[in-house]
Amino acid sequence: MSTAMNFSSKSFAPRPPDKGAFPLDHFGECSAFKERFMECLRRSGYESAACRQSAMAYLECRMDRQLMANEPLEKLGFKDLINEKSEEKPEKS
Amino acid sequence: MVGLSYAAVPLYRLYCQATGLGGTTGAERSAERIERMEPVRDRLIRVTFNADTHASIQWNFKPQQSEIYVVPGETALAFYKAKNPTDKPIIGISTYNVVPFEAGQYFNKIQCFCFEEQRLNPQEEVDMPVFFYIDPEFAEDPKMAKVDLITLSYTFFEAKEGQKLPLPGYQ
Repeated sequence: MSTAMNFSSKSFAPRPPDKGAFPLDHFGECSAFKERFMECLRRSGYESAACRQSAMAYLECRMDRQLMANEPLEKLGFKDLINEKSEEKPEKS
Repeated sequence: MVGLSYAAVPLYRLYCQATGLGGTTGAERSAERIERMEPVRDRLIRVTFNADTHASIQWNFKPQQSEIYVVPGETALAFYKAKNPTDKPIIGISTYNVVPFEAGQYFNKIQCFCFEEQRLNPQEEVDMPVFFYIDPEFAEDPKMAKVDLITLSYTFFEAKEGQKLPLPGYQ
């Protein structure tokens, strides 16, 4: 599909992130979660699929600390992990 | 090249107004899409990360991983890190670029740190996450059949007092 850009012959038009910008974690409240995620990445050869549990935990940390708008985790692509979790405890949204 | 990236912020705004993207309806649609999409496991893609700073900004800015392997249809998290090594607060604002150019349309950022001013206090260091996914339709585009490497580049500029940067009004 050829995209006709009016303002330039071939340029990339950045799009905004769907949910806007993350507030900065000035106090490192979720740094531990980030570290766990990064360790997982290193262990797994940087395979994203292997570290989704840690990624989800990081985002939950942000939501718990008002560093991210609360969103049901299914809407962030974690529905399969949530279905596992909901067997253990009632789902919180 | 730098000028083009810088101009991309106001140009984005024109693009946004013309196509109507970036409003809440867009975000709602995409949340549904994310919830329903399935990973395309047979298309492993290597995403590499670049970090640039414009000469005017004194931040140290770099990715925390040089690469990550993802598949279309699955959300992924990655981190950059920025430090203000000076003794004055500095406000930065970033834009991004995706190569190959044609893959950019499939690269969706759910949340990141671009297009909004970010303030770092003296000596402050922060993690900057990018939460994204590659649209599953990528796997169905014959033009993308040979693409297994996508590079995401962020560039930070200094946002100075009194400088009017038209920010995309997606909030």
